[in-house]
Amino acid sequence: MPEPTPALRVRGLRKIYPGGLTALDDLELTIPAGSLFGLLGPNGAGKTTLIGSVCNLVLPTAGTVEVFGRPAVTREARAMVGLAEQDINVDRFLTVRQVLVYHGGYFGLGRREAARRADEALELLGLSAKARVTAPELSGGMQRRLVLARALLNRPRLLILDEPTAGVDVDLRGEIWRLVRALNAAGTTILLTTHYLEEAESLCDEIALIRSGRIVDRGTAVTLRERYEVASIADVYQRALNAEEAVA
Amino acid sequence: MTGVLLEPAEPVSTFRAERAPFRWLLEREVLRYLRIWRYSMVGPVLSTVLFVVVFGTVLSRHVDGIGGVGYGAFIVPGLVVQAVLNVGYFNGTTSLYEARRDRYLHCVLASPLRWWEILGALVLAAVIRGVLVATAVLAVAVPLTGVGVARPWFLAAAAVAVLVVAAQFGVIAGAVASSLDHVYSVESLVLLPLGFLGGIFYPIDQLPGGWQLLSELNPFFWLVQAGRIGFLGHADVPGWAALAVAWGLALGLSAWSAGLFARGHRLKD
Repeated sequence: MPEPTPALRVRGLRKIYPGGLTALDDLELTIPAGSLFGLLGPNGAGKTTLIGSVCNLVLPTAGTVEVFGRPAVTREARAMVGLAEQDINVDRFLTVRQVLVYHGGYFGLGRREAARRADEALELLGLSAKARVTAPELSGGMQRRLVLARALLNRPRLLILDEPTAGVDVDLRGEIWRLVRALNAAGTTILLTTHYLEEAESLCDEIALIRSGRIVDRGTAVTLRERYEVASIADVYQRALNAEEAVA
Repeated sequence: MTGVLLEPAEPVSTFRAERAPFRWLLEREVLRYLRIWRYSMVGPVLSTVLFVVVFGTVLSRHVDGIGGVGYGAFIVPGLVVQAVLNVGYFNGTTSLYEARRDRYLHCVLASPLRWWEILGALVLAAVIRGVLVATAVLAVAVPLTGVGVARPWFLAAAAVAVLVVAAQFGVIAGAVASSLDHVYSVESLVLLPLGFLGGIFYPIDQLPGGWQLLSELNPFFWLVQAGRIGFLGHADVPGWAALAVAWGLALGLSAWSAGLFARGHRLKD
């Protein structure tokens, strides 16, 4: 029986920035469809460059990236990916509702469907009362909600969340966790990066550790804890990445 | 939690759009400058109209006509060209540079929009802005100076070239600028001097020899000449030469911007 097409398949991905910095070093990664996959690593490990390579934001030096079997640069692949970046990057000229409507439009939605989904996203993320203000008028937490709402407009099959809970309060973090679980339960594959190790352990059914542009280990939280004979993912993180550093 | 957004879309073998993403981006670009209409539309129209009023009507009483037309009518074509070039430059730079700086360009790059659709939307939005500003300036300048259109088809060909040059220049500047300092320095160190030395206010034969040559090396000069031939029927250079330079610039800048966007130069990391 043939293996099902993975949500993401990355082969030999290399990115060397002008100036010589190697951000990705022949990285190999396969994420099964339907999984909630955590990517952990220190700052500068290559997480954001990897995400950028998947989303047409970074020009890889070498290697291939496929989304559900389609090259990541194709329109079909891009139409299947939703991205909520770590930075708050919203169009400051538009109102909150317009940000969502136009984003849906960039994915080919008709006017009525884009408006309908925008209203649903506003409701889902608790932004309805702020629909007519511009993004810079929102609080930090509200802006984070908007970035998440925007990533859902095209009903992505692969949703990439780059540190979605960074800098948010406990209540919003709980809301985001519930949303992530609901999306995954409905069949959306989720790639999550986070610095909160307990978040990865609680949410993700598989975790990969990245350092210096390479995946150094991966597995379920239980498998990783057993493999390193430690009690928590935080300890796994320390052991795996420190061991890698010692080898390097 | 319920709703259609919680469920992933069905896989498709070929991307199909209910409404073209290009149209959405074009609409967004136009909406952007209409939202800031005081700066984007009224400002350039007012400053150009003031030139027409001060130089074209007040000073023209003390200046003899040039080439058989009043001084006001003589300067209007060049002022319109300059206004179009200015709004084209600032449209591309403010839209694209700020989209890069604030990183909301990522939403566009990560969407199914193709590079040439992104470029096309930016350029067409700037062209529309140029048409709106030029129309508003002429609505005031024509009754004040009596300038007419001597060669309509020539003017149409010249106008398209000038609009494309302006839009592409702005987009290229927006793509390569790495700071706001770059954006404003190009305006004050390149656009402004080239505009003043572009033959807007004087015929080239009134300049000393060296300055004449300098003017002929100035691309703005040829764009102004093309506009002037369209409005007045004649200028300092043959019509075919002005049109050839204007279209050469339009095509050259279009090729340059296409190269930048196709490679993702400065747009992608």
